Amino acid sequence: MFEQAISAMASVVVDPYLLGLIFATTILGVIIGVLPGLGATTGAALLLPFTLTMDPVHAIAVLATIYVSATFAGSITAILINTPGTSAAAATTFDGYPLAQKGEAGRALGIAVISSTVGGIFSVLILCFAAPLLARVAYEFRSPEYFALTVFGLSMLASISAGGAVKNLIGGIFGVWLSTIGAERVTGIERFMFGNYELYEGLHFVPIFIGLFAISELLVQSKTVNKIVNTVSMKAVKLPTLEDYKKIWKTILRSCGIGTFIGVLPAEGATVASMIGYSEARRWSKNKKEFGKGSIEGIAGAEAANNAATGGAMVPTMVLGIPGSGTTAIILVGLMVHGLRPGVYLFTEQVEKVYQIFGSMFVANVMFMLMGLYAAKLFARVSLVPTQILWPIVFALSVIGAYAFQGQLLDVWLALIFGVIGFFARRHGFSVAPIAVGLILGEMVETNLQHSLKMFDGAWWMILTQPLALMFLVFAFLGLCGPMIFSWITKQKD
Amino acid sequence: MKNIYLVPLILTIFSLAVIAIALQLDTSPEMIVGDSMQARSFPIFLMILKLILIGILSFQFYKNSPKPIALEKYHTWGSMFLFLLFYLLTVYTDMFIGIFVVIFLMSILWGERRIWVAFLTATITPGLVFLLFDYVLKIRFPRGILMNLYYG
Repeated sequence: MFEQAISAMASVVVDPYLLGLIFATTILGVIIGVLPGLGATTGAALLLPFTLTMDPVHAIAVLATIYVSATFAGSITAILINTPGTSAAAATTFDGYPLAQKGEAGRALGIAVISSTVGGIFSVLILCFAAPLLARVAYEFRSPEYFALTVFGLSMLASISAGGAVKNLIGGIFGVWLSTIGAERVTGIERFMFGNYELYEGLHFVPIFIGLFAISELLVQSKTVNKIVNTVSMKAVKLPTLEDYKKIWKTILRSCGIGTFIGVLPAEGATVASMIGYSEARRWSKNKKEFGKGSIEGIAGAEAANNAATGGAMVPTMVLGIPGSGTTAIILVGLMVHGLRPGVYLFTEQVEKVYQIFGSMFVANVMFMLMGLYAAKLFARVSLVPTQILWPIVFALSVIGAYAFQGQLLDVWLALIFGVIGFFARRHGFSVAPIAVGLILGEMVETNLQHSLKMFDGAWWMILTQPLALMFLVFAFLGLCGPMIFSWITKQKD
Repeated sequence: MKNIYLVPLILTIFSLAVIAIALQLDTSPEMIVGDSMQARSFPIFLMILKLILIGILSFQFYKNSPKPIALEKYHTWGSMFLFLLFYLLTVYTDMFIGIFVVIFLMSILWGERRIWVAFLTATITPGLVFLLFDYVLKIRFPRGILMNLYYG
């Protein structure tokens, strides 16, 4: 197994086509990450249709590369123009921009690049070891356990984004309901199709995701037209010194652990990881006063954590089929579209492909390090592309991408409709990520509930007699009600 | 009624409509469903759950009124109108004519003052995307005025 994994990972390096693909995608990912508003999720949604004709490993490598490189690249604009390219880079602005204003933009970028690379590589290594172990545990899972696990995943939607727990759960339930559209899988009864037989097999994820993430973002960006941003002039790229690295290595290692752990948790992603990584860096620092004024520890803490979360987030996605964020939801769809069934079987029957994907993520981390160190200044110029040119191009890519998935115009209309729905949802504080994750988990939760009911002759409470299922349901309950219970207990004590 | 309850109201109406439609769904014979559930049960269960959450949301709004949301500028509404225009142009002329018109008008609407830049963007983007999808990815596009000329 170990030898097979190593040889599969090494095969990435000797595959010139795959290397070229990762190189090109890393450039694209950095550009996407640099452009405010585009981010990893929108980028992955736009690229998904392009991967349809690719070999499965190449396709997932492209999506995973976009994920890691765009997550890093958000820091470039965060440091240079105080505008995080992705939400995960928001914490980087706290110290990155002040340091750039002092004329040390190169040093800030260098710290961000190295921290991100170490974080990314660390999490890929953890992914290589943790994923097969978790898969071995998941081998024992049957329908009740899977049902409870998906309920746990859905309960974690409460904290998936800043929209607020209730709004996120409403979005998640809406997503689960969307998965019921089409013919019911056991009885074949048509649900909510209104005579439209193109919906017989249900809503396909690709056009819905393009709508929710790309088109809705286009409408959100239309509100920021004519916004003026302040740029920092980067005179010379003076990279960090050895002294700098000596100062931050402990912070980087701490953030690697924090980021990977948070990434593994369903529904917690790079944004939360970077915030916690930053605050922990501050808590453990001897120079707390420097924070907010250009502390290199602050940049390292946030950047190592957000990239460490990318590998961590791939663990539940690939092992359990439970995506933790919008981007991992798209990667999961990519896996399914290419016939790679996430879960135990992926790790028992398609081990080679799995480790090639991990190897690709490893290579992508190294590639964005080189690009970040030597071409960050060049990439930063991309952020100056006017919105009135960029977003109409995104529109064209979105509609053609939605059409290309199945060659149906209905998918284009669905992408536009869900774009408008996503926009209004976001306008009123509902995040679109819970809708996407709910749509993916919906089928799993209903099917496993049906199977569990059949297993126990309709006695649903028997699910609670299964120890693992009970554990997940208790976690789900604690995840939903824990904060309320703990705050009540604290109030009573006070 | 205050405007803050508009969102919960719309969500409630939607949930009730889903329940009403679900109740109209066919039922399967007992021998097929067995001890499992009817096709209507799961969506109804979801909507009841959603109604409970909407109740909690309304209570939250009652306790702390959300900040009023400013009405969007004409760029946003105009962009949505362009989506509708794209639909009409795609259905009655050609998808690529629709893309050309929308890109051109959207660039102008979003503030591009140089007509030639908007025109070049609207021409080059669909052109490149078409070449990529047609030649590399072998996607066959829907028939229309331009595609009929191309496919023959």
